Amino acid sequence: MKNLWEVFVMDMGELAEGKELELTIRTLNPGKQKYTYQRVKAEVSSQLDKFADALQVRLGRGQLSNRQFSIRVIETVQRMPERYR
Amino acid sequence: MGKISAPRSNREFIEACVKSGDAVRIKQEVDWDNEAGAIVRRVCELGEAAPFMEKIKDYPGFSYFGAPLSTYRRMAISLGMDPASTLPEIGKEYLKRTNSEPIAPVLVDRRDAPCKENVLLGDEVDLTELPVPLVHDGDGGRYVGTWHAVITKHPVRGDVNWGMYRQMMWDGRTMSGAVFPFSDLGKALTEYYLPRGEGCPFATAIGLSPLAAMAACAPSPIPEPELTGMLAGEAVRLVKCETNDLEVPADAEIIIEGVILPDYKVEEGPFGEYTGYRTSPRDFRVTFRVDAITYRNNATMTISNMGVPQDEGQLLRSFSLGLELEKLLKSQGIPVTGVYMHPRSTHHMMIVGVKPTYSGIAMQIAQLAFGSKLGPWFHMVMVVDDETDIFNWDEVYHAFCTRCNPERGIHVFKNTTGTALYPHATPHDRKYSIGSQVLFDCLWPVDWDKTNDVPTLVSFRKVYTQEIQDKVTNNWTDYGYAPVK
Repeated sequence: MKNLWEVFVMDMGELAEGKELELTIRTLNPGKQKYTYQRVKAEVSSQLDKFADALQVRLGRGQLSNRQFSIRVIETVQRMPERYR
Repeated sequence: MGKISAPRSNREFIEACVKSGDAVRIKQEVDWDNEAGAIVRRVCELGEAAPFMEKIKDYPGFSYFGAPLSTYRRMAISLGMDPASTLPEIGKEYLKRTNSEPIAPVLVDRRDAPCKENVLLGDEVDLTELPVPLVHDGDGGRYVGTWHAVITKHPVRGDVNWGMYRQMMWDGRTMSGAVFPFSDLGKALTEYYLPRGEGCPFATAIGLSPLAAMAACAPSPIPEPELTGMLAGEAVRLVKCETNDLEVPADAEIIIEGVILPDYKVEEGPFGEYTGYRTSPRDFRVTFRVDAITYRNNATMTISNMGVPQDEGQLLRSFSLGLELEKLLKSQGIPVTGVYMHPRSTHHMMIVGVKPTYSGIAMQIAQLAFGSKLGPWFHMVMVVDDETDIFNWDEVYHAFCTRCNPERGIHVFKNTTGTALYPHATPHDRKYSIGSQVLFDCLWPVDWDKTNDVPTLVSFRKVYTQEIQDKVTNNWTDYGYAPVK
């Protein structure tokens, strides 16, 4: 199933294409987990059919951007120190 | 003081509000994702009855109570007063109760604490099992804490603090929130926990009795458990937490326990704020790691939807800031006749009525107000004389526009403390809580001759004799006018 993700950025330049990015994204899939976050390594593309999942973008004050991306989540990144997990 | 009959819990409060027509039961299913928030927002903007949403999508058994104290009627009910009480009457009652002897809380056994009816520990802890709403579309997350108390204790002084620090669900075990450096919790973190790298135990209590919420919102020097007792006229019941030594209101609907992390932060915001804007952008903020969740059967989550006026944050904060300033000014012997903040100022403008008996009195008031613990929460003080009705905006506005001399009456205070949420502040000032404040002195100078220099107010009430006023008033309907309410 195609997953829908969302990211907040202050500047669209944070979503550089053609390289691996580290992003904090939240799931928009329906259900109790909706809007929970994870830190991931991912690739994004403005070609909507390049990757299987979709990425929606919001700006710093929550404004929904009209730019859409596709996204490939490579792996989850654990930022939180082990002692707190 | 006579016997006070105030609601002791959120449930008793809902019941009282439904009975008086100040809350409505919503039976149809409501979605936690935007719909509940939108209902509460519309209620705030229309001044409607509080919504008690009994069926939440995905969360059978839970309910919401929105906009709990966004009207003075509901504030009166929370104090056990007649809902039709006027604002000055409610204020007088608040001052009477909060000037009485402190009432210490009582500790009850966990078997007598409804908030322990369900206990989630270890791997069971998951915030997504609570009906945490997405309050505004575009918020940075679902907000667990919008009308609640974050309970902490100073590790050295032992002071207990209940404060409303917003909390966003980051994942099932993590929340992030905005804690200003000048707040009680902010000071405890920066003075003690952060330099030592120690975690700060916390407990978030949601669905408090309305007076406990009022205490958590009030900038009073009295510890909130005692203040709640004074407002209610009886001791508040507390119970020990499951995973730390903090004590929480036994009758609260939901308790979330954990630790504020000293050296790790996650993103928080943006969020629709009490100023009516989303001002503070997303940033790395104070992070709460959750160790336990306890809740009542059929728990009710309280929701405040901050935005354009008026919501309970604006109403209650204006109310308590004004009255706490009145107490402070009176304690300093200033002849104030009243202090009022209009909720629609989003608690930014303090209006002070005073008998102008000596020169510089407005400046003295502003210095005390801005220099106090209350000061960072507002940036305008307007001082009017005792002839001006501080609750009547028409009179205050007239005084401001006619008596405040542009050169001598406006005094700007620079480099003070401000909140990160001031929409007018620069991004730099917001980041470092740098404020600026202003006094509008609307008093006639005391060195003006009262007969020859001070202008005479031309109003029905001021320029006609009582005899003429009575004649006109008594004949009003005979002239063909509708009766004046």
